[in-house]
Amino acid sequence: MAHGWEMQHDDSVVVIGQDVGANGGVFRATAGLQARFGADRVQDTPLAEATIAGMSVGMATHGLKPVAEIQFMGFLYPALDQIVNHMTRMRNRTRGRLSCPVVIRTPHGGGIHAPEHHSESTETLLCHIPGVRVVCPSSPARAYGLLLAAIRDPDPVMFLEPVRLYRAMRQDVSDDGQALPLDRCFLLREGADVTIVTWGAMTLESLRAVVALEAQGITADLIDLATLSPIDSETILTSVAKTGRLVIVHEAARNVGVGAEIAAIVAEHGLYDLQAPIQRVAGFDTIMPLFRLEHDYIPSVQRIVDAVQFTLAA
Amino acid sequence: MSTFKLPDLGEGLAEAEILLWHVKPGDQVQVDQPMVSVETAKAVVEVPVPFSGRVTALHGVVGDIIATGARLIDLEPSTTTRGVPINGVDLRASTAARGAPINGIDFEPGTADTPPIEAKNLDAGTVVGTMPTPSEEDLLEPVVIGRARGANGSRPRAVPVARALANRLGLALDDMVGSGPDGVLTLADVIAHAGMNGASAAARPAAPAGTGVTPPSLPTPPGAASEPLRGARRAMAHSMSMSRDQVAGSTVCDDADIHAWDRRGDYVLRLIRAMIRACAVEPALNAWYDAAHNSRVLLRHIDLAIAVDTPSGLIVPVLRDIGNRTPEDLRAAIAAHKDAAHRRSMTPDDLRDFTLMLSNFGTLAGRYGIPLVVPPAVAILGAGKVRQDAVVVADAVVAHRRMPLSLSFDHRCITGGEACRFLAAVIADLEEPD
Amino acid sequence: MTIVAEFQIDHRQILAPDGHLVAPLPPFAADVDAVVAMYEAMTRVRVFDAKAVNLQRTGQLGTYPSSLGHEATHVGVGAAMRPEDVLAPVYREYGTQLWRGVTMTEILTYWGGDERGSDFAGPRHDFPWCVPIATQTLHAAGAAMAFKIRREPRCALAYIGDGGTSEGAFYEALNLAGARSLPVVFVIVNNGWAISVPVAAQTASQTLAQKAVAAGIPGIQVDGNDVFAVRDVVSRALETARRGGGPCVIETLTYRLSDHTTADDASRYRSDAEVEQAWSLEPLLRVRAYLRRAGAWNDAREQSLLQACSRQVDVAVSDYLQLAKPSTDAMFEHLFAELPAHLHAQRTTARKYAAKPSGH
Repeated sequence: MAHGWEMQHDDSVVVIGQDVGANGGVFRATAGLQARFGADRVQDTPLAEATIAGMSVGMATHGLKPVAEIQFMGFLYPALDQIVNHMTRMRNRTRGRLSCPVVIRTPHGGGIHAPEHHSESTETLLCHIPGVRVVCPSSPARAYGLLLAAIRDPDPVMFLEPVRLYRAMRQDVSDDGQALPLDRCFLLREGADVTIVTWGAMTLESLRAVVALEAQGITADLIDLATLSPIDSETILTSVAKTGRLVIVHEAARNVGVGAEIAAIVAEHGLYDLQAPIQRVAGFDTIMPLFRLEHDYIPSVQRIVDAVQFTLAA
Repeated sequence: MSTFKLPDLGEGLAEAEILLWHVKPGDQVQVDQPMVSVETAKAVVEVPVPFSGRVTALHGVVGDIIATGARLIDLEPSTTTRGVPINGVDLRASTAARGAPINGIDFEPGTADTPPIEAKNLDAGTVVGTMPTPSEEDLLEPVVIGRARGANGSRPRAVPVARALANRLGLALDDMVGSGPDGVLTLADVIAHAGMNGASAAARPAAPAGTGVTPPSLPTPPGAASEPLRGARRAMAHSMSMSRDQVAGSTVCDDADIHAWDRRGDYVLRLIRAMIRACAVEPALNAWYDAAHNSRVLLRHIDLAIAVDTPSGLIVPVLRDIGNRTPEDLRAAIAAHKDAAHRRSMTPDDLRDFTLMLSNFGTLAGRYGIPLVVPPAVAILGAGKVRQDAVVVADAVVAHRRMPLSLSFDHRCITGGEACRFLAAVIADLEEPD
Repeated sequence: MTIVAEFQIDHRQILAPDGHLVAPLPPFAADVDAVVAMYEAMTRVRVFDAKAVNLQRTGQLGTYPSSLGHEATHVGVGAAMRPEDVLAPVYREYGTQLWRGVTMTEILTYWGGDERGSDFAGPRHDFPWCVPIATQTLHAAGAAMAFKIRREPRCALAYIGDGGTSEGAFYEALNLAGARSLPVVFVIVNNGWAISVPVAAQTASQTLAQKAVAAGIPGIQVDGNDVFAVRDVVSRALETARRGGGPCVIETLTYRLSDHTTADDASRYRSDAEVEQAWSLEPLLRVRAYLRRAGAWNDAREQSLLQACSRQVDVAVSDYLQLAKPSTDAMFEHLFAELPAHLHAQRTTARKYAAKPSGH
């Protein structure tokens, strides 16, 4: 819907990717767009991710705003050369003369028993790169508002769409063209005892954990990070100042995950507010398993609850 | 009878609409034969018969939207094989196979939901995937974008190790003032506060001891009961331990000849006056010593802590700024303190931050003593029992009333000379007539 | 002006859609039992494939890419390869894999979400299924390089789809193979569609075989629904490569009679008429007609074959369905040859939180 709104109001927005045209995208995210806006503005590309990313650089530097789809995050890697070496640097290396208003959308995370390589969460690779934003919405409504913001942003945005959320929720989203702010967290629950920071599909487990904890008289600030890079430290630090306890939850592997950056920020700027060590609940440092074990890999509600309990006992 | 539930037909589909049934209740059906056509968000899909048997019930009519994981059809599994000839040209027709009853297929492990949370029903039938059903999702729209509403300043900020020490000592951070950046409480702040506030720990419930190894308890003889020390007794154990651990104590004793006094009693006011005089002579004894930073603060005002013996233990309320108060005022304050001490209604403010201490143990018994200095103060004067002593005056032995005095001081920052000069000044004042 | 280079791409067909020979019979086809063996293999994979789709539709298998329509290409390639050669598949070529000893249970296990499916008991040196498009072509080139360095008379064979020939890795693999004269054969299975993108939208190249020209290696096109032609062309290419004669690109023309995978709905982007037309060219039809005409096949044998295949498929499905869910240790077992110490604690945590076990 966000595509449609923005393409309606901004001629320069074009959609490219594999199977985004007639097929409307393998998750139907671009359904109906080609019929509405034509095959020039909604293009099926040849099967080549480097092509998608590279042509986006070319299109964006010359008057268009490409919204490009990489079919699954597991297929992103041929595109990294173009993203890291060009898309994120063009403004800097031309001193602002050329820039890349590009959005690259890609499905993120697992949990829908998809085939191999279709369940990746390697957002850390992207967050580490200067010159690009990384956004991961946690609901259809926020996906709408954040995608609009991403398209309108004059610089590159990696837009990671949690696969579990494509059809997990029925949420009436008003097609009103209202963007949500980038670079800000969203507070989904308010509480006093602990701060939980998460994003993407793990928001579901985190919410369930919060419900379970409330039954035990424990309340939490549940923060949806939403923009993974740059991190809205202020919201997190304000919350930790109130609660004194922090649990970070992400599906991605623990080692050098985005949770590590959040923990470092709080250690640097919020140490004196902490009542207990920071806890990270994350995927294991193993290859994402094929789907028979994916629910053993993806952090469970119980792991989140246990981590919160641990901070309260410390 | 087995219930077959709608599987996830393609990577995360949450529901499907029934378009056309190819079977009806009562039909004998073969595995893989077309059963129902449904439409998902992605496609029109033919769902084949999962196992051979007889249809007993359909759980939806054309147009119904069935959620993934919801009941679709009931089948009575058959145990015999019935081959269906295959159209040799076109294997798009179903393939006959010896259908094995497939009960209780649970393709996906259960969700990681734990008992306190509403558990999904994943037992019989086949369910692929654990797509959260829409009714489960109750994501609120964000309450606040960005800045979480924090209760600013509601909790004191402290270096973690300071917080840990405060917990062990049973001290509340709220009472302390932080000397770190932005008022953060440092370890030194907690230590200093613990020292100045030794007796004040009585006002707060003490937290359990720290996480160090606990030595074994003393054996309790039969008939006796082990009694944990609380309140004032606990505070005293704590401040005296600190005194022993930190202070380099030294004591000098002497006597004040008070035969010139007209009245008996009211010694305390005379003692107070004498100590005020002595502080003017030797201000070094009205100070705080900070060993960690190797520094001391000479204090202008004298906040005198006077020990009060109560049935529940030693309480040491503090008279503020005695140098600038009238005797009447002091008398009233002393009486009020005694009363409050006995009633155990002292507040932490009454007990903290003394600069000098007086122990008038002579009201009970004792001549000389070695009173203990409680840091960060550096001196304590003990007054023993007034008695008639044989003294030599102009080569003759006469009986004079004398008050024994014992002045303990922290020799880390008070010299013997300073101490003796202070004592001499006390004695000189006390020996004046009323 | 002088012409410095030209190219020509041949198209080969031996068995026409109705089962008549339009070219001399290749040597292997002189033995009717060999032809029957290939026909049986093509039938078996089709029966298996139909069952696999049904398993997905009944929630007992994950997303599955069907090989319907590709049987001649797949079996022809499999029959042309030697056991000691190495296959680098994409993810659809079950006919080749079954011929080479991969089991139906292994195929189901993989698409059932269990890595054990890729631990082939049979062809231990073949590459596993490869989902990131075209990356396998470089793997094949690398294996061929190993054979060359070690002077082994073995070849690598990489499959790739029409869509895959747009990927950079494909061009790089061809280029390397040509530049180093590697013993590798690239089989482009042009089935007309890359999910919803038709070949015409994929490239301006008239044939896909001619992409070999840019790499300086031979390219040839073959009727991919003609198992005789496929086997013949691939055999020759492998023999050339094995002798040190360098790599080759073979484009097989066929049609994807099924959806891209069970998560796709091809009716959204292609016409029923086109699919119907393609059915008339399908590979089993013509081999069956050839065998009947040769007096080597009849209805009874057909029924008997179908039933035998069904039984075999049933056994494989049963074995698959009984495979217990692996323990969480499986996530840690093969991460490295030896699990580093810092991961022992995570392995323990995973055990503690193991989701409840279940069958299929």
